[in-house]
Amino acid sequence: MDINNTKMLQPLLGSVNCERVLLFLLARKEGYPREIAGFYQTALDPVNKQLKKLEAGGVLYSRAVGRTRLFAFNPRYPFLPELKRLLAKALAFYPREVQEALTMVRKRPRRAGKPL
Amino acid sequence: MKPLRDMSVGELAAFISNHLRRRGIEVVLTGGSCVTIYSHNAYVSADLDFIDNSFTRRKKLKEAMAEIGFVEERRYFRHPEVELLVEFPAGPLSVGREPVKEIVVLEYDTGNLAIISPTDCVKDRLAAYYHWGDRQSLKQAVLVMKCKEVDLGEIARWSRSEGKIRDFRKIERLLLSPPP
Repeated sequence: MDINNTKMLQPLLGSVNCERVLLFLLARKEGYPREIAGFYQTALDPVNKQLKKLEAGGVLYSRAVGRTRLFAFNPRYPFLPELKRLLAKALAFYPREVQEALTMVRKRPRRAGKPL
Repeated sequence: MKPLRDMSVGELAAFISNHLRRRGIEVVLTGGSCVTIYSHNAYVSADLDFIDNSFTRRKKLKEAMAEIGFVEERRYFRHPEVELLVEFPAGPLSVGREPVKEIVVLEYDTGNLAIISPTDCVKDRLAAYYHWGDRQSLKQAVLVMKCKEVDLGEIARWSRSEGKIRDFRKIERLLLSPPP
């Protein structure tokens, strides 16, 4: 699986990191910069830059959770339903492994200190 | 002309709008300061949110604001004599997922102010309540309802189109409560 070789919307969005950030948030609902950069095995700075740009444009919002800043889609963004539909369609064109990697994430709690 | 520090929220917003208009920048006031204006200061907002309908480059906006003493600080503009911060959030001018169709013009000694209508102001506050669960915004919506004539049928229609008609039904009685 090559997560980094998939870019369906880059010609439209103008940036592979923008596509990565949006697809990650579509699949996971929310995320923090280091988590997104780690998922794509890419540098933190460009991911951070995209998140801030999208937040300034009203597409995303962020909230502080402890010392972490969590980002998610801004429910008040006027083009949100249309954007999500486009992203969902783009995600459907991704290889199945990428789709699963994006959507399959442990949601249930893990007790602190529990051995893996 | 009054010093900026003595201007009401509406006068200050009109002064800024007027100046920007002369520079070819058309802005509309939205957000919490509209509640301040419509509720006659029953709620006091900390900032002025203008949507730039001309989609001006930031550099030009910065220069125009500097001409009236406002200095850019991160996303905001600050004036040494004024406590209110001025922000230009990203457009387009919308309430929830719909474009704003009606813009009201209020006249002040300092100029004309383009502002969202009381009905759209209530929608704007309710959007914050519906999507963030922010009860302060709900309180602000109620304040505007009590002070201004608002089209409740239109708010119900809009709430439905936002997928929030059930939330609207829950607060409808609160919105309709008579003025004190």
